[in-house]
Amino acid sequence: MQNATLTKIALTVAVVLGGAGFLVYTSVDHAQHYKMVDELISTGDLAGWEGKELKVHGNVEAGSIVEKIVSQEQHRTFLLVKGGSKIRVFSSGPKPDTFKDASEVVATGHLVKAADMKAMADSLGVKLESDLPYVVEATDLMAKCPSKYDGAQVNKNINDRSTDNKFK
Amino acid sequence: MTESAPFSPIAVVGTLALLAAYLTGAWCIAAGIAGNARKSRRLVSSSVYGLYGFGALIGLSAALLIYGFVTHDFAIKYVAATSETTMSTWYKVTAFWGGLDGSLLFWVFVLALFSTVAIAVNHRRHKDMIGFVVATIMVVQVFFLSLLIFTKNPFTTFLTQAPTEGQGLNPLLQNYWMVIHPPSLYTGFVAATIPFAFGIGALASGRLDDMWLSSVRVWMLICFFFLSFGLILGGRWAYEELGWGGYWAWDPVENAGLMPWFTATAFLHSAIIQEQRGQMKVWNLVLVTLTFFLTIFGTFMTRSGAVQSVHAFGEDNVLALQFIVFMAVILIVSIGLIVYRSSKLTTLGTFESFFSREFAFLVNNWILLACAFFVLFATMFPTISEALDGSRVSVGPEFFNRWMTPLGVILLFLAGAAPLLAWRKTTTQRLVNQFLFPTAGTVMATILLAFGMPQTRHLTPIFADRLKLPVSLFVLATIIFVGLSIGQEFWRGMMVRRRQTGSDPFTSLLGLMLSKRRKYGGYIIHLGVAVLFLGFVGKAYEQQTDKTIQQPAIVRDEAASTRVPKQQALAQATLPAGLEEQSFKFGEYVFVYQRLIVTSDDHKDATTAEVGIYLDGEKLSTVYPAKWDYHRGGEQATTEVAITVRLSEDVYVVLTGYEQDTGVANFRVFINPLISWVWIGFCILALGVFVCLLPASLATYVAARPPRTRLGRAADTGLVMALVIGATLAIASQAHAAPPAAAAPAEHLPAGGMGMGNSGAGFAAQNHSANPAAKKAAEAMFCPCGCSHRTIEECDCGLAADLRAKINGMVGKMDTSTPEKAQAAYEGVLNAFVVEYGGEQVLANPRSSFPWLIPVLAAFGAAGLLFFVGRRWITRGRAAPMMTASHITSIADEDLADKLDDELRDTD
Repeated sequence: MQNATLTKIALTVAVVLGGAGFLVYTSVDHAQHYKMVDELISTGDLAGWEGKELKVHGNVEAGSIVEKIVSQEQHRTFLLVKGGSKIRVFSSGPKPDTFKDASEVVATGHLVKAADMKAMADSLGVKLESDLPYVVEATDLMAKCPSKYDGAQVNKNINDRSTDNKFK
Repeated sequence: MTESAPFSPIAVVGTLALLAAYLTGAWCIAAGIAGNARKSRRLVSSSVYGLYGFGALIGLSAALLIYGFVTHDFAIKYVAATSETTMSTWYKVTAFWGGLDGSLLFWVFVLALFSTVAIAVNHRRHKDMIGFVVATIMVVQVFFLSLLIFTKNPFTTFLTQAPTEGQGLNPLLQNYWMVIHPPSLYTGFVAATIPFAFGIGALASGRLDDMWLSSVRVWMLICFFFLSFGLILGGRWAYEELGWGGYWAWDPVENAGLMPWFTATAFLHSAIIQEQRGQMKVWNLVLVTLTFFLTIFGTFMTRSGAVQSVHAFGEDNVLALQFIVFMAVILIVSIGLIVYRSSKLTTLGTFESFFSREFAFLVNNWILLACAFFVLFATMFPTISEALDGSRVSVGPEFFNRWMTPLGVILLFLAGAAPLLAWRKTTTQRLVNQFLFPTAGTVMATILLAFGMPQTRHLTPIFADRLKLPVSLFVLATIIFVGLSIGQEFWRGMMVRRRQTGSDPFTSLLGLMLSKRRKYGGYIIHLGVAVLFLGFVGKAYEQQTDKTIQQPAIVRDEAASTRVPKQQALAQATLPAGLEEQSFKFGEYVFVYQRLIVTSDDHKDATTAEVGIYLDGEKLSTVYPAKWDYHRGGEQATTEVAITVRLSEDVYVVLTGYEQDTGVANFRVFINPLISWVWIGFCILALGVFVCLLPASLATYVAARPPRTRLGRAADTGLVMALVIGATLAIASQAHAAPPAAAAPAEHLPAGGMGMGNSGAGFAAQNHSANPAAKKAAEAMFCPCGCSHRTIEECDCGLAADLRAKINGMVGKMDTSTPEKAQAAYEGVLNAFVVEYGGEQVLANPRSSFPWLIPVLAAFGAAGLLFFVGRRWITRGRAAPMMTASHITSIADEDLADKLDDELRDTD
């Protein structure tokens, strides 16, 4: 009887440990590195992040949002800032309702060479910054949800209009 | 504006009430523990009455805060931060839980309400442990109350001048979902406290028989229901309001509600094993503790900043520390008591066979727990990785889907298989007898699906990239299996009942459900889950496209001579020719960009695209995706999506960009197959929960009521089921409710001569008709400008003035000389608006107001239900000796009936 109990315990431990190990193993393929803008820039070796999926967190620099329809799709670019560092982000498709100047944004995507996005920047009428060799090509934008209680106050404090682009 | 520090009597009384409640709570803890430990009835009674007093004081605080909102007492910081004078009363009440401080008070209020009912119902049955139960509830209450009083007091006033106007709730939150979604989820979280308190009470008192279990099962079911309701409403909110085409994103805030849902579901199953077989006593206590712990952990996770998310509630290290200490106390006390009482928690017997219902339940529990821990692990992944190597790494939704899909399929299979198995051991003969029909039916249907719909054989990776399976086909096959298995159970049960009672099939079916509410209610819930999965399958086949149209079919400055024919052509039911440049095809649908409508009122600027959707050349619908820019709140923009709902798929149109001058517009279109079945599945699940919660007194009344004619019984059972279905449909109206005017797609016509920046000044007096029919029609419809639920007659915006003119024009062409004709004219106008604006959401009364009444009706309904449930418990002891033998066999002892059923099946 005791042997049976021990077998059950051993089996349970094996299943739990095996499952946990497999879980950790499979999670490696889906890892997205989460970096604040200043944290990312301060690593120095931006080339090392090329090809890796990143989540870059910062605030939209006021007045930096430019949007336009290019090839049937709405494209935009803006600067994401945090702690004195900045990085340019390109994205397409719908944007979150709370995405606007100074809003807190997490851009999910990949780091690419700024030169690779020059054609898109030209289409949008934006001049790429010479001191930013890499930009973020985002597949998804998430902006701070207003339900988190300080939304109204944050919004109230943003008085300057983002862009005077006529395209909304 | 006052010159000195503002004084608010509401704030003073509210704060005093909170302080008094805090002291009362502390007394209840001491008296409850001492009372049961020293077996002092007076102390126990004192703690019980203290709990009632606590509830009254918290009720007073909540009422005062709501009063502060309604009377615009902006001396109170919280009122000033989350409301403004122009908000409708509904949103002012909503603002109660719209901020952190108020949401904590709301939490304490709901728990006070629940605990009052739970203790009132149970304190006589559990005299030797009720003091511990009260003390446990009060520890939780005092914890939240201490947060309220010391750091997040919603009655804090300004030290200097109070503002004359509040900041208001963010426009994104000013919609119907904010009214109903957070309270529902909170209620689910709060309801988990009651089972936990009874579990701790049982452990502390040493009364570890099944009695505590029967008292908490209903509360766990209520917890399960409200968590499900909250999660599904959250999904619906995201789907209708956020414009990204989906309803679930595995966000930490969503996951916080999902984790306790898994453990609550596990408990609802494992509790049955303890009742039937006396096993899994420790396990049940662990699940009750874990469910409660996860509700607190979820709150901690999303409010303390422990998990980075745009959906989280901000960082607050002090709050985080308080929660960590509280969670540590929960774990230490719970585990300590379980270890201390381990000698009394020995299990009777062991599992006899893998082919037994209890073993299926055990596997179900393991999978549910695995789901909870997987979601916890994946949600906490960034925090864990940061703690391990200093680098914050997260995992995306794809990772969640790859793990949760196979786990979900196993759970779904068990939902169909477990009801077919017998307790203890299923004989080979019974296995064949029970599984033959569902399995054969499933195999045949799966073969048909695999060859008839090749897309179901599409390979999807699960767990890892290399492991690919036709997941959709597996899920569909399992859904069919569950449907056939549950259908077979209903069929066989009905046939047995028919033989017993000689009644017709319908009456037998209803009688079966009434007499074994838990069993068949549970089966209905399983069926609901299967239907939910049908909706989930559709996710694999969703399609999306972006399209830009340079110019709409009708341009504002177009000459009248060309505009009219086009308008007429677009009004036809078939696709007009010559619109190639203004249309695009996607899937089976053709989308025609008809016009861009620009309107403005006092609250916002609205840009709306009118899009005709055609299927097979016939017009399916006209939709109005829009962008609204609110003037207040830093020019907050909102996306107003337009959804054409079909049972097979939703057509979801988002206006992603536009140029007002040229009319160029960019659309993102989603085709979401089977998504309606997610909401339908939840409605079925809700029906099952209602059946489970139906009070025995009602079923007994129906079963015992003379005269016992067949027709009479059918009428009685029909009435009961109508009540249940009615309640479920009320919930369905939540899941499918068209958004109210403030949140509805901007489905309106351009106001002639209006441009950007027009204010509402002067419009208020325009176009009011003296004709009673026109006036009545204007009063019966909401203005679609987002003006916080004002009717077209009341609203002071230009759009309302324009719509009044339109109504006057329509009524002017009709004969209103007699009251009958005036009524016909009134109804004609309403019908025309409903047709034109694509839904009844334009109606202010009575249909559109109904969904707004639902929370109130639901609250009263829940109170009534609690009353009946409580009455059943109270009267159970007294009524038992008076019951006749027939009652006992027919209704009262349904557990015995269940067992008999199983045993009879085995002997068959």
